[in-house]
Amino acid sequence: MATLDQKSPNVLLQSLCCRITGKSEAEVAHQFQYAVRVIGSNYAPTIERDEFLVSEKIKKELLKQRREADAALFSELHRKLQTQGVLKHRWSILYLLLSLSEDPRKPSSRVGNYGALFAQALPRDSHSTPFYCTRPQSLALGYGDRSGGLTASVGTSGISSLGVYTLNGPSPTPQSLLAGQPPQSVAQPLGSRLAWALPISSSPSSALAPLTNRLPLGPAAPSTRVVRPRRDGDTGEVSEAALVRDILYVFQGIDGKFIKMSAQENCYKIDSKVLVCKSLKGTSSRLAELGWLHNKVRKYTDARSLDRAFGLVGQSFCASLHQELKEYYRLLSVLHSQLQVEDDQGVTVCTESSLTLRRLLVWMYDPKVRLKTLAALVDFCQGRKGGELASAVHAYGKTGDPQMRALVQHILSLVSHPILNFLYRWIYDGELEDTYHEFFVASDPNVKTDRLWHDKYSLRKSMIPSFITMDQARKVLLIGKSINFLHQVCHDRTPPGKITSASKSTDTPKDAAELLSDLEGAFQEKIDAAYFDTSKYLLNVLNRDYLLLEHLQAMRRYLLLGQGDFIRHLMDLLKPELVRPATTLYQHNLTGILETAVRATNAQFDNAEILKRLDVRLLEVSPGDTGWDVFSLDYHVDGPIATLFTRECMGHYLRVFNFLWRAKRIEYTLTDIWKGQMCNAKLLKTMPELSGVLHQCHILASEMVHFIHQMQYYITFEVLECSWDELWNKVQQAQDLDHIIAAHEVFLDTIISRCLLDNNTRSLLNQLRAIFDQIIEFQNAQDTLYRSALEELTLRLQYEERKQQREEEGQWGVTAEQEEEEKRRIQEFQKSIPNLRSQFRVLTHFYQSIVQQFLVLLMTSTDESLRFLSFRLDFNEHYRAREPRLRASLGATRGRRLSNI
Amino acid sequence: MASAANSNLNAVRETMDVLLEISRLLNTGLDMESLSICVRLCEQGINPEALSSVIKELRKASESLKASENSTN
Repeated sequence: MATLDQKSPNVLLQSLCCRITGKSEAEVAHQFQYAVRVIGSNYAPTIERDEFLVSEKIKKELLKQRREADAALFSELHRKLQTQGVLKHRWSILYLLLSLSEDPRKPSSRVGNYGALFAQALPRDSHSTPFYCTRPQSLALGYGDRSGGLTASVGTSGISSLGVYTLNGPSPTPQSLLAGQPPQSVAQPLGSRLAWALPISSSPSSALAPLTNRLPLGPAAPSTRVVRPRRDGDTGEVSEAALVRDILYVFQGIDGKFIKMSAQENCYKIDSKVLVCKSLKGTSSRLAELGWLHNKVRKYTDARSLDRAFGLVGQSFCASLHQELKEYYRLLSVLHSQLQVEDDQGVTVCTESSLTLRRLLVWMYDPKVRLKTLAALVDFCQGRKGGELASAVHAYGKTGDPQMRALVQHILSLVSHPILNFLYRWIYDGELEDTYHEFFVASDPNVKTDRLWHDKYSLRKSMIPSFITMDQARKVLLIGKSINFLHQVCHDRTPPGKITSASKSTDTPKDAAELLSDLEGAFQEKIDAAYFDTSKYLLNVLNRDYLLLEHLQAMRRYLLLGQGDFIRHLMDLLKPELVRPATTLYQHNLTGILETAVRATNAQFDNAEILKRLDVRLLEVSPGDTGWDVFSLDYHVDGPIATLFTRECMGHYLRVFNFLWRAKRIEYTLTDIWKGQMCNAKLLKTMPELSGVLHQCHILASEMVHFIHQMQYYITFEVLECSWDELWNKVQQAQDLDHIIAAHEVFLDTIISRCLLDNNTRSLLNQLRAIFDQIIEFQNAQDTLYRSALEELTLRLQYEERKQQREEEGQWGVTAEQEEEEKRRIQEFQKSIPNLRSQFRVLTHFYQSIVQQFLVLLMTSTDESLRFLSFRLDFNEHYRAREPRLRASLGATRGRRLSNI
Repeated sequence: MASAANSNLNAVRETMDVLLEISRLLNTGLDMESLSICVRLCEQGINPEALSSVIKELRKASESLKASENSTN
């Protein structure tokens, strides 16, 4: 620490004085005294303690001098300086260097002015301390003339000169320097504070060009000033100085002596009793608008900043307004101190920098525009909070004025900061700490975990800030929901950091501002990345740990009868049970049968996890039901997969299962019928009287078989397989759980409507049920026929047998009596045949009329696949030939086709 | 300890070099010694605005002194 040892400031100052003037310590005593005085006068700096700001200023300065290369070099050096942590007050040394810098292009032209400058400084720089007050003269005029200098300055008291320093407020720059320096440097301390309204980008000195131009005109100003008081004294009007003083109070929303708040007109007005010249009146009322605007903003922040329910977004909005107001107050304090200085010097001493209403009008122009924007914002944001508030502010940012845009952008970045904080907490941790309901994701605490995915979280549409698109909002909702789902339902304890590969970024306000300006790029990317990672992780967990896809396939295999061998075997085993009345069925028996069926078929190779969930369910029994009507397979779902297979979904599955099960049963019955026909045909050949009725049976049976086969084909291939394929493709491509759920719902809906289970096709389903019933009835009728025919056959065979036996024994084969009896029985049997025939005819008729009705309904249906089904069922136009209504509709298309050929 | 002090010294020297370079860029007219004094003052929390005005004033004073000397000579 050789160079930075802690010598006292005084010692350092002294050596500095020696160094710069190039004289010995004794000779620089005066200068040293002066330096100590200046430095000791005020330690509080006025400038921002912001290194960044200062470095930017330096760069601007260099650029202004057209030294781009040097500016680049400077930023390089500055960066180097920052990396070395030796200095604590970097901004300070940088500021010093900046204020000492000179434009090399302008040759130092000051030297010639010094005499005049110091002469001008004299009247102000009058002090009671001899060393101090004599210094300028000693330098300018030499020691010999010191007494002359003293006499010239003795006129003003020492007390007032002290006031220069104490009341000059924050400015440590002595008045002598302020007055004595070239225009640009004069503008700096005052101007930099006046220019709070200006964006940093525009250099203070250039922005205040009109101001600086005016200052050199100093000598001209006093003359006008001197004239006015005299005139004021004559007419008894209020002087401009008094109005300026009043205006400064009004700026802060305090009533002045002459200018007061008028309650009726809601504006600041000059008291009507006071005589004021017209132009001054106009100017001051224009200025007083600032007070009104200030009051408006102030009232809003005061009312809201203590209101806790206003929420974090509202608080940060108030804070940003406060920040702006603080800048405004700072400006006012500078003006006040300026006024104070003038007062101390008295009216007689007129300076070029005195305050006039016109000058105020120019200086306050920018602050006024700013305050106006703030007031408009406050008006617009009344009654809004949270994301809505951010939207309102964002709407104001869409202006062409770059200054206003910068202002609103700044406020917006502060306002949106809490929102972005919520957002990051939500998408990276899944936590929702939104006490005041400001975020656009809402959570319903009443929803249990089983409905977490569907109902717990929702979007608050009004709270979506307008800079976040609906799509993004939806993704954000989904990301957080997925994380919560993982934690609460899947009990997955992976830390959130591992789900998203992108490192969790620190969200500083600066970050927020950047995101707002670059919503398309970084922000979107971030959300997309988080969305992608989280959803992928969730699907992985569901598939790996909870076998989501396996369960989906199991549904297809068991509830939608995809596993053919199992279903067939189950039906075989269940048949004796199910023909009994429903009331005599016991669940445990059926469960046992189910297990047997599983063990005997390929189903046994399925995952135990899946087979465990397979169960039997008996539907509600209504009187007269058989086992077939109430039997149903069931599949237990719980935990995470219940999110996909909700209760409604399972209800749909059960309905579809019942339909398919019934159709399957009919197919099974028809197979039995066909089997019976094949077996019995040979046996009954010996009874030629039966051939007619049997033929009738065969025809009807094949008609039914054709119908049912086509139906089954339609259900299996056109409904189930097609929809399943679609579903499977979608599930494979799904990016998040919502996609899968949506695809699954579409799948179920399609199946329900294609299987004629929805409301539109109720009449069709009734027809189909009737057809099924007819088939069952036919089975019963045929069974009776066969039973009686076979009985007859056995009796005849027995009769023949007995006859033969007797003949072998050498007796008469039959007695007349027996023969008579045999004949009578055969006649009786033959008599019953026409009965049977007519019974079958009626059955056939009924059946055909129902099928025709069914076909007519199919024809008129809107669903294309159903019309294809009707075409398939009536491929050879068998029904069309019989039913005129069919002919009309079918014939139309057919006829057209023929004419085309 | 010695090496730490050494490296610290190096850092200080580098910092001073950088500052001198900046000072040269900005054309402040400070030499190494006055600059180091200024840095020390700033590090002690002196208001740079005041310090800069002092330096300017001192310069003016010395220049006008020289001028008056020249004219008297």
